[in-house]
Amino acid sequence: MRLGVPHLGDVWIGVQAMARELDVELILPPSNSQRTLELGIKYSPETACLPFKLTLANMIETLEMGADTLFIPGGPGPCRFGYYNKVQKQILNEMGYHFEMVTQGRGLSYILKKLTNNAPMWRIVKAYMFGITKLNILEKLEREVQKVRPLEQKKGEANRIYQEAIIAVDNAASYSELRKLRRDFLKRLHSVAITKNSLPLKVGVTGEFYVLIDRFSNMDVEIELGKLGVEVRRAIFVSHLVSANPFSLLLGLREKDRAHKAARKYVSHHLGGDGWQSVGEKVLHDKDWDGIVHLEPFGCLPEIMARNIMPSVKEGPPVLNLIYDEHTSKVGMLSRLEAFVDMLRWQKRK
Amino acid sequence: MYYYQYFPLLEAFFEHLGAEVVLSAPTTKATLLTGGSRLVTDTCLPVKVFIGHCLSLVEKCDYIFVPSIRCTRYKTYYCSKFLGLPDLVRAAVPECPTILNIHMDIDRGLKDMGRSIHRLRKYFNDKSGDDLKDACSDGLKALSNYRKLMLTEQLTPPQALKRVAGAPQAHPKFTCQSGRKLRVLVIAHPYILYDDFINHHLVNYLHRSGCEVSVPEMLAHEEMGNAVVNTMGRIYWEYEDVLVGAAEVYSRENRDKIDGVIALTVFGCGPDSLMVDIARRRIQAKNIPFINMMLDEHVAEAGLITRLEAFLDMIQRKREKDYASGCTSPR
Repeated sequence: MRLGVPHLGDVWIGVQAMARELDVELILPPSNSQRTLELGIKYSPETACLPFKLTLANMIETLEMGADTLFIPGGPGPCRFGYYNKVQKQILNEMGYHFEMVTQGRGLSYILKKLTNNAPMWRIVKAYMFGITKLNILEKLEREVQKVRPLEQKKGEANRIYQEAIIAVDNAASYSELRKLRRDFLKRLHSVAITKNSLPLKVGVTGEFYVLIDRFSNMDVEIELGKLGVEVRRAIFVSHLVSANPFSLLLGLREKDRAHKAARKYVSHHLGGDGWQSVGEKVLHDKDWDGIVHLEPFGCLPEIMARNIMPSVKEGPPVLNLIYDEHTSKVGMLSRLEAFVDMLRWQKRK
Repeated sequence: MYYYQYFPLLEAFFEHLGAEVVLSAPTTKATLLTGGSRLVTDTCLPVKVFIGHCLSLVEKCDYIFVPSIRCTRYKTYYCSKFLGLPDLVRAAVPECPTILNIHMDIDRGLKDMGRSIHRLRKYFNDKSGDDLKDACSDGLKALSNYRKLMLTEQLTPPQALKRVAGAPQAHPKFTCQSGRKLRVLVIAHPYILYDDFINHHLVNYLHRSGCEVSVPEMLAHEEMGNAVVNTMGRIYWEYEDVLVGAAEVYSRENRDKIDGVIALTVFGCGPDSLMVDIARRRIQAKNIPFINMMLDEHVAEAGLITRLEAFLDMIQRKREKDYASGCTSPR
């Protein structure tokens, strides 16, 4: 079995680690690029959302590289994501590819058995833990990078370190190596020369999951904000998707649960996708964030609901909506960001 | 939005409880404009119309009933917009009267749904909730009668609703102008297909130009559902059986052949963007002509009619050609 998995932000690092542990032959598509997008547009229905187009293109790329099994998770609840697999399967079949599609439709145990070549449970758990550790370390580093970015004297240094970290973490083969990497990279990030006595704005980034964590589709919105001297706060990380800490789960300490609770007044039920959380973040971070940048792919169902409800939320900082599709231009995004940040500065000085 | 699916149920339910049911007037341009002005621009057309209807009811009633429906069949979902409707109305129409809201989610069990309906009792001075139970069974009875009526007499929902309200037996026959008799299937969500403002009287137009129009509601839900399950796997969207399933059933070999399929979608509809694509692929594989008409607030009727005329002419010609080569029998 040669397994192809579409991209979802940096999740590939965890998946790759697990595949190595379990001796599964994994075929990763090249990271998202203009070619990916063009492939996706060519074969997708025109009004499908951006993540659909990109994941479809990823699948085509892996099939070109020789994959014979594809895995795409399906989200629970009412969002188009859960329906991707049916449409994509149909499209790929019509293109003449032969493959097997594994989705969550047939239950978790089926997926595990199918994807891991019948590996025993303890090996699966072990591989899973190792993959998650990698993602957790990257999360820790990324949070640090978000803090350093607006202050660094030589722009782009923190990013470069983070890119190196991704490669190093991906190559690491043991826990001790990971611990060392974590220590080293944190030290390097802390020693980046920074400008003193400036207090950066804090801007939260929320919205739809895929666009939020995929740097290609959000056009490096965090890096651009960093260049404008803004400290980016993000509540959703890749590792939150896959890890489940029983304590925080039970006590409702997860950011997601807190956001849901905060939004109760405005949203009484789950909207599907991340709509509920987007509204919640606005309520939750009333005081500590100076502004919110809300990202969504064009036509996203839950986020449109969130966007409709947000203006009626009394508390919370100003919100800038950025909508992404294949026609979004980076220059347009930049001028909007600049104007938004200027406005926030002006408001803060007042 | 649920008018054509569930109105008999709701009417029976509330009338049993002694409430007077106030209906908003049919959709007009003003409905759409007022509704649209309250929402962000890329919200889909039906939701804008829905908010417009809510606005028109503001002064006219004491309570407004807006259910939030997640799923009415196990693991088959409505779109997020249905789910968040009460919240949306609250956010977009702050001046609206108290919202009666029930949360329908079969995934969480029938009990949960019962509890959610039970919560309505305080509005109706019904302490024990027995009246509510009777009202529910009344409503369900009305609903099943309504569905049976559509199925046995092959009526469209507006025709059936008129019949339920006590209209005479015969529904108006459309005069045939061109003498051709094409069988056309129109697939769309009920709130698009039967709202004559949203679809620019499309069904009437088809009747007038001599087409026999089939709609998904003329089939049993089970039949359409099975067609989806057999070909695509589990039903994911609530309207998947109406769109994909109906196309599947009508294009089967053993049925009277349909000459063409028209899909009506609205701009920005998430589920449709994928479902209609699947329906198109499956229908075109069977060599049946297919057209997708996308509607939004800027669509002009003349443009729609031109495209429809061209489509009808084309399928007419195809029929004649097929007939000449002996593929189909004359009708």
